[in-house]
Amino acid sequence: MPFVGYLLSSVLDQSLESLLHRLRGLCDNMEPETFLDHEMVFLLKGQQASPFVLRARRSMDKSGMPWHLRYLGQPEIGDKNRHALVRNCVDIATSDNLTDFLVEMGFRMDHEFVAKGHVFRKGIMKIVVYKIFRILMPGNTESIEPLSLSYLVELNVVAPAGQDIVSDDMRNFAEQLKPLVHLEKIDPKRLM
Amino acid sequence: MGVTCVSQVPVAEGKSVQQTVELLARRLEALGADKQGTFGVDCETYHTAATLGTQGQTGKLMYVMHNSEYPLSCFALFENGPCLVADANFDTLMVKLKGFFQNAKANKIESRGTRYQYCDFLVKLGTVTMGPSARGPCPGACLGWGDCPCVIPNDCWNLLMEFMQSFMGSHTPGIPSVFGSKHDSTYSPGDTMVQYMELFNKIRKQQQVPVAGIR
Repeated sequence: MPFVGYLLSSVLDQSLESLLHRLRGLCDNMEPETFLDHEMVFLLKGQQASPFVLRARRSMDKSGMPWHLRYLGQPEIGDKNRHALVRNCVDIATSDNLTDFLVEMGFRMDHEFVAKGHVFRKGIMKIVVYKIFRILMPGNTESIEPLSLSYLVELNVVAPAGQDIVSDDMRNFAEQLKPLVHLEKIDPKRLM
Repeated sequence: MGVTCVSQVPVAEGKSVQQTVELLARRLEALGADKQGTFGVDCETYHTAATLGTQGQTGKLMYVMHNSEYPLSCFALFENGPCLVADANFDTLMVKLKGFFQNAKANKIESRGTRYQYCDFLVKLGTVTMGPSARGPCPGACLGWGDCPCVIPNDCWNLLMEFMQSFMGSHTPGIPSVFGSKHDSTYSPGDTMVQYMELFNKIRKQQQVPVAGIR
């Protein structure tokens, strides 16, 4: 089962252009890729203490794309020497009736947001710089406002279990982004 | 595969399911249809585990199906509910969800058999088996008829019916219920899976004879 390794940080709006410039230089040469996505987080409550969480994502600016369903496991409390936060993940492409189907399964939407940003790649690493927008009226993605004055920066890699060399590559890449951005392994407890 | 009609084949008098299938296969070959490999459609049943039910609703059945015609896809559906088309990772997700949805392994049902191509028509003739090992007794046979180039049911139902009639005579099935809402809109693989699900449920009910020893 694949795992995703994460390093996270943020930059203030005014530093965005410098970061994008640096990333264009460091990353694979490709057409700049921007995205505008609507993500909905669904919960299935059972008798277990913690509900089952699924994330449904759709593109708002590219037509004809499948919807994306993602399951993310709990952060692995593993080796403290590992340089990245690692979570089990399952990614599924689906048809566009995903939300109706999740509701039929018993899931209920907990929250939703819009994410707008840029994607870069370096080998199997993906660097995403994006801003989160709050949706003012449920279901209406036309009316949104930024959640903060900064952009989130996320370096992630999806790889089969046991590939710790990957997190070394991530750390090396992260070094190259300093001092603009300090990507770090976030303490899982801070995410709760 | 285009517009498809799935139907159960009545077992010929005095013959077994296997013999009925062989008879039909010979008839198809005599017609001039070419054998083109094999096909498989399977259906697993999941029901909500005892952990759910705080909403007070009766347990629902969810079907997860696969069709060799679409090898990279997985179809998940509820009876009279939505049909989700997903990639094969959906099966992995169901493993993660086992605390909430339990796989009723004894209810696994599948149809396997041969594909025949006859001009624009694709005919799939299969035997239906039930149970986890799929080696249990064979409760039935089914036929899937498809008009490959056509995706609008209204445009080709008459042609499909004529072709089926030439072959099945009085046993020609009626218009599938999924066509009901779809006369002029595009037919999709999900509609085929709904038909298979309805057929499998019908065959399963036919097997639920209250005699001890029958699974």
